[in-house]
Amino acid sequence: MKKPIRAITVIDMRIFENSNLSIIGSRRKGYIFSGILILISLISFAVNGLELGVDFKGGREFVIETSTVLDATAVRSALASVLSSDPEVKTYVVEGVDQLLVRTVGEEDIDVVKGQLIRGIADAFPGSEPVIEKTYVVSARFAKDLERGAIYSIIGSLLVIFVYVLIRFEWRFGVGAVTALFHDVLITLGVFSIFQGHIGFSLQIDQTIVAAFLSIVGYSLNDTVVVFDRIREYTGLFKSENYDTIINKSINNTLSRTIITSGTTLLVVVVLFIFGGEVLRGFAFALLIGILIGTYSSIFVASPIVLELRNRATKGR
Amino acid sequence: MYPTAQNYLIKSEISSLGDDEAATYRQDNYAKIRSVEEKALKLGLDLLGGMHVTLEVRVEALISELASDTDEAFFDILRVATTEVETSDESIINVFVREFERRDPNARLSRYFRNETAAITRRSSNEDVAAYLRTEADQAVTRAISIIRDRVDRYGVTEPSIQQQGTRRVIVELPGIDDPDRIRGLLKGTARLEFRLMVDPADNVRTLQRVIEFYETGVDSTAASTDSSLVAAADTTLDINDLLNSNQASGNVLLDVMQPFGQGVTFGRVAEQDTATVNRLMSDPRVVALFPRGVSFMYTSSAVGTTTEGHEVYDLLGVRDEIELTGDVITDARVDFEQFSNTPEVTMVMNSEGSRTWARLTGANVGSNVAIVLDGVVYSYPNVLQRITGGRSNITKLANQAEAQDIVTVLKSGALPAPVEIVQESTVGPSLGASSIRAGLYSVLVGLFFVALFMIMYYRTSGLIANLALILNLIFILGILAGFGATLTLPGIAGIVLTIGMAVDANVLIFERIREEQSTGKTLKASIEGGYAKALSAIFDSNITTFFVGVILYSFGIGPIQGFAVTLMAGILSSMFTAIVFTRIIMDYVVIEKKKSVSFG
Repeated sequence: MKKPIRAITVIDMRIFENSNLSIIGSRRKGYIFSGILILISLISFAVNGLELGVDFKGGREFVIETSTVLDATAVRSALASVLSSDPEVKTYVVEGVDQLLVRTVGEEDIDVVKGQLIRGIADAFPGSEPVIEKTYVVSARFAKDLERGAIYSIIGSLLVIFVYVLIRFEWRFGVGAVTALFHDVLITLGVFSIFQGHIGFSLQIDQTIVAAFLSIVGYSLNDTVVVFDRIREYTGLFKSENYDTIINKSINNTLSRTIITSGTTLLVVVVLFIFGGEVLRGFAFALLIGILIGTYSSIFVASPIVLELRNRATKGR
Repeated sequence: MYPTAQNYLIKSEISSLGDDEAATYRQDNYAKIRSVEEKALKLGLDLLGGMHVTLEVRVEALISELASDTDEAFFDILRVATTEVETSDESIINVFVREFERRDPNARLSRYFRNETAAITRRSSNEDVAAYLRTEADQAVTRAISIIRDRVDRYGVTEPSIQQQGTRRVIVELPGIDDPDRIRGLLKGTARLEFRLMVDPADNVRTLQRVIEFYETGVDSTAASTDSSLVAAADTTLDINDLLNSNQASGNVLLDVMQPFGQGVTFGRVAEQDTATVNRLMSDPRVVALFPRGVSFMYTSSAVGTTTEGHEVYDLLGVRDEIELTGDVITDARVDFEQFSNTPEVTMVMNSEGSRTWARLTGANVGSNVAIVLDGVVYSYPNVLQRITGGRSNITKLANQAEAQDIVTVLKSGALPAPVEIVQESTVGPSLGASSIRAGLYSVLVGLFFVALFMIMYYRTSGLIANLALILNLIFILGILAGFGATLTLPGIAGIVLTIGMAVDANVLIFERIREEQSTGKTLKASIEGGYAKALSAIFDSNITTFFVGVILYSFGIGPIQGFAVTLMAGILSSMFTAIVFTRIIMDYVVIEKKKSVSFG
């Protein structure tokens, strides 16, 4: 490390270094944008609902490897005649091996169902040599427990975050942070609700997705806190300045790092989405959407809400 | 970390050797291999392949079993309690007691649970009874764990893990299982062995006739019918395939799914996929009323034939409810082979008390059948030829040696104190696990590459330092996982990938701050000092909340999700150290000691 390796660089990379965007000034646009997204999400919840996975609904999920390429609809109709209920069938290729994902509900003995699956596929598609590679079974009662656990962990996380921000900053920041988090989770769930069934991979809400949501909550807060931290610093520094200006300055001066930190995380999430395999695809997708929305909300939602609350307080006086 | 690498080296060395050489190598280095394996990073079953099962001890079954002099009200209360706990975290015993007291505040639970050995008398308070039930339930779970462990050990699984979760659940983790169906049977089987007398053949035919008639007309007619055609149908042994494969509707819901038999103790024959329907038809209270007193119907354990479509067919047998002998009297069991046909069978030896009862039982029932029932399924129902002394009995005509071996295993391990149910199961084949490992590893490497590339391009020399910190961070995470004996799962690997993206965040915060300091005209040394100091509070604030989220995820998630939570927490802790302390040491070394410049892009 004799000299900085400046010589080989082509461009001087500085993103939003001295940005002076009027984010606070145009915050109404942000509210409208967020409002529209939330409205679409809510409508989608009402119309499409959310598809719960085996974890929260109970049921059985099988991954079956076959030596020939099978058509999902054909497999579905072949299995519907041997199983007691209509299964859900998806096909995909992992490392050159054809796989089937079969989801069923019912209370029959699992050994019986496995036998029916293997025989059903082998009879309908001679030479397909089906082998069950993965079995995942959750009883309805256990699913209820998992669902309760998921709800507790979401509420618990939001509560812990609210209390923490409350202790470290004033209450307005706590409200701003938690509102932004609700905003993020709501819209990401909305995206799940809109795209389920219209996309090449499963968007069912299961434990992994809940883990992704909580990571989004943690991560989105990450960005928000950095801005808050700066607001706190500048409030002490520029006492004479208007609060609007302070917040705008704080957002602008942290913008570069907000974009970069989100960028690096987004980078690995995209990698995970592409290379992580079928199991992690929904998880990576949730993170992808969540980080995008979370970055947006830490700029356009969290701090403006702090400002609104403060303005209301001063007006009231 | 070191043991993990060592473990990998040993494994690859073993696989490079021939079978015989590998065996001797293993023997020579047994202690070393074991200690290395224990310290090495453990892979989760979703990566390694294996079986993860959550069993639940059915406490409500235990309660009804402990109770005597039960009445309608008792079962109703128990039913209400069972439904109620499905949607809450509460213990069923509490709900049961509360519901009992709600119905009649003055009633005493002790009227159901009188038990001299547990000192529960007529005067015992409801709290005493509740405490007694709680102790029994706790003991049932503890005993269930030791019995399941015994069964797993007898089956022979390397490194099984059996742990209690909460108050009534047991988590069983079995790596590298090649026959999950067999294991499932071994785990959930209560192993209640019972010897029972069977239905009187004349009663059997009469009942069959009445039940068929019930479903023929759909109304309850208790008057004995003499419909000759039905009797004929019941008395003739038809070809199984004739009835089961005939698609023509007989107009009788029962005959649609069951071939009537009515000979000896056999009620009818049912194909595998129809058993649920038959069970439903046969459990209608109006139908049950037609059964001979004290008789219920059970299936045979093995198929008696197959339909042309390949569905297996089972006999439905009439068995008396009274239990003559239980598995408690069995002192030994072993696998044998029948002399002529060489089919596997299980020979059981009874203690002296059992032998006496068995001799009396067989002596009094020469010419009739005795059912050997294991967990509600009839394994054999031999015809008694003569009085059997010496306390020997056999379960014959088993399908294969594995089945015989499994019966011996459960008989020797003992019966579970209460039934257990598999509430969650996840079985992953080794090839799927291996492909998950590759996908995970690939994601880590590609993610690392892109992030490192970006950091160097954007921050130059300081980016390089951040990259060193990043690699050190990865090593630390794996070290923390191995050190705490945590398990690496697929979501755990996802957590590591995510950590790669998030770990540089702290450095980005610091570097951006340093750039700001530099732009105010400060010296490099002062800028670095200021940058680190001012970024610290933001780094701390943002990381600690994610850490909390990790803690919460860990406490509510199961298996793989806990793996994610653990890597997330480990990642935060180690990235705080590497990004703040490690990079600072390098910076100070380069800038102060070597008097060189560091570029922040």
